[in-house]
Amino acid sequence: MALLEVKNIQKSFDRTEVLKDISFSLEKGEVLAIIGSSGSGKTTLLRCINFLETPQRGVISVGGKVLYDCDDPSKKTEKEIRKNRLHFGMVFQQFNLFPQYTVFENLVLAPKLLAKEYIKENGEYMGASNYKEAVEKINEEAMQLLKKVGLTEKRDEYPCNLSGGQQQRVAIARALALNPDVLCFDEPTSALDPELTGEVLNVIKGLKGSDSTMVVVTHEISFARDVADKVIFMADGVIEEEGTPQQVIENPQSPRTQAFLSRFNQYSD
Amino acid sequence: MEQFWSITLQLLDGFKENCLLFGVTLIAALPLGLIISFGSMSSFKPLKAVCRTFVWIIRGTPLMLQLFVVYYIPPLLSDGSFKFSDRMGAAMIAFIINYAAYFSEIYRGGIEAIPKGQYEAGYVLGMKKSQIFFKVVLMQVVKRIIAPISNEIITLVKDTSLARVIAVGEILKNAERFTKEGLIWPIFYTGAFFLLFCGGLTLLFRYLEKKLDYYKG
Repeated sequence: MALLEVKNIQKSFDRTEVLKDISFSLEKGEVLAIIGSSGSGKTTLLRCINFLETPQRGVISVGGKVLYDCDDPSKKTEKEIRKNRLHFGMVFQQFNLFPQYTVFENLVLAPKLLAKEYIKENGEYMGASNYKEAVEKINEEAMQLLKKVGLTEKRDEYPCNLSGGQQQRVAIARALALNPDVLCFDEPTSALDPELTGEVLNVIKGLKGSDSTMVVVTHEISFARDVADKVIFMADGVIEEEGTPQQVIENPQSPRTQAFLSRFNQYSD
Repeated sequence: MEQFWSITLQLLDGFKENCLLFGVTLIAALPLGLIISFGSMSSFKPLKAVCRTFVWIIRGTPLMLQLFVVYYIPPLLSDGSFKFSDRMGAAMIAFIINYAAYFSEIYRGGIEAIPKGQYEAGYVLGMKKSQIFFKVVLMQVVKRIIAPISNEIITLVKDTSLARVIAVGEILKNAERFTKEGLIWPIFYTGAFFLLFCGGLTLLFRYLEKKLDYYKG
């Protein structure tokens, strides 16, 4: 069974229909790359999955559990949405780190708040039965994540003292700190200088090895080709073409996909 | 020389009233302003309209007039059955209302300047709206508004002398008394009290700004 299932998502802003009946599914451990030109609806789709936008139609489920159903008002309460968001992690184009906190504090802020809440309500957070124990676990995990993204020695720096690439790696670690089922990336390298994109893409590539399920909206075609298991090409709010990277990138069938990719190949080696 | 010290002490007596008015206004108007700023940013239209109209009226009329209104209107409306027994109380109410309105606009500016991405980052990390406000946004707002708020607070120090118009025994009123004895210099001398007080505040704000300078953004 698919881990992530997105069915018939439709989203309009005022009278502009941005997403027209989008459906796709993703297996556990798979990496999905969503490509397409600006305004094709890629980012809106990702934001719908993270409940930052509310689709007018459609169903989103993770591991067989329905998280969002446009016809079910009980899935739309603030509390329910907040809980269901935790199935997803999100890495933004602009990093959105909290500037007043150190790298380490950025990582542990949300988990600590959740631990406090869960222990109060259920008496347990990730196997810890009291807050102190939970904090120890959270801190330990945060250090492991910093190691994973190669920023152990930056733990006490403030985000303003880091390069864009380092900030984005912190943002990835911060998203992972809540152990999401699906990690989403919204053009994670678009705000970076070209020489910094490599370090971020390498971290994402490394996560694939550790079995994370990921959805990556990207303009890095060669990254999509090398890392993704599945590629979706979007145009005007619909999935124009989908398949393996070999199918979609090496051998596109749709004329729109061909036109889009040829514009990229023009300048790349 | 003896006269100088005796006058200094009498002026200091008046300045205590200025300090009291300043302190009470600050303590009450800072949080009240935050509440009003939430109102003027509310998505509930009637509340927003009420708050913005309130701010417009308070910022659009002189504080001196507001002092008169607070002190004289209640007795007029109640046919004299209600009267402020304490002029200082009336002055405090007028000052708190006035400064809360100004503070609310500074807060609003500061809150609206925080990028949407900060809220979204909080949401996707499973944080509640209130947690995002208090743990993420508020500190950033404080850093952004410390300069305009200090400006307003320094204005407040000097505005306290306006309470004189409803005969609160503040420093300028005390100084004026000496003109009857033919002494004009105590009036000018009051400036020294304000200067010292504002100087101290300026140093304090500079220290706070420096404290908050540990990060950019």
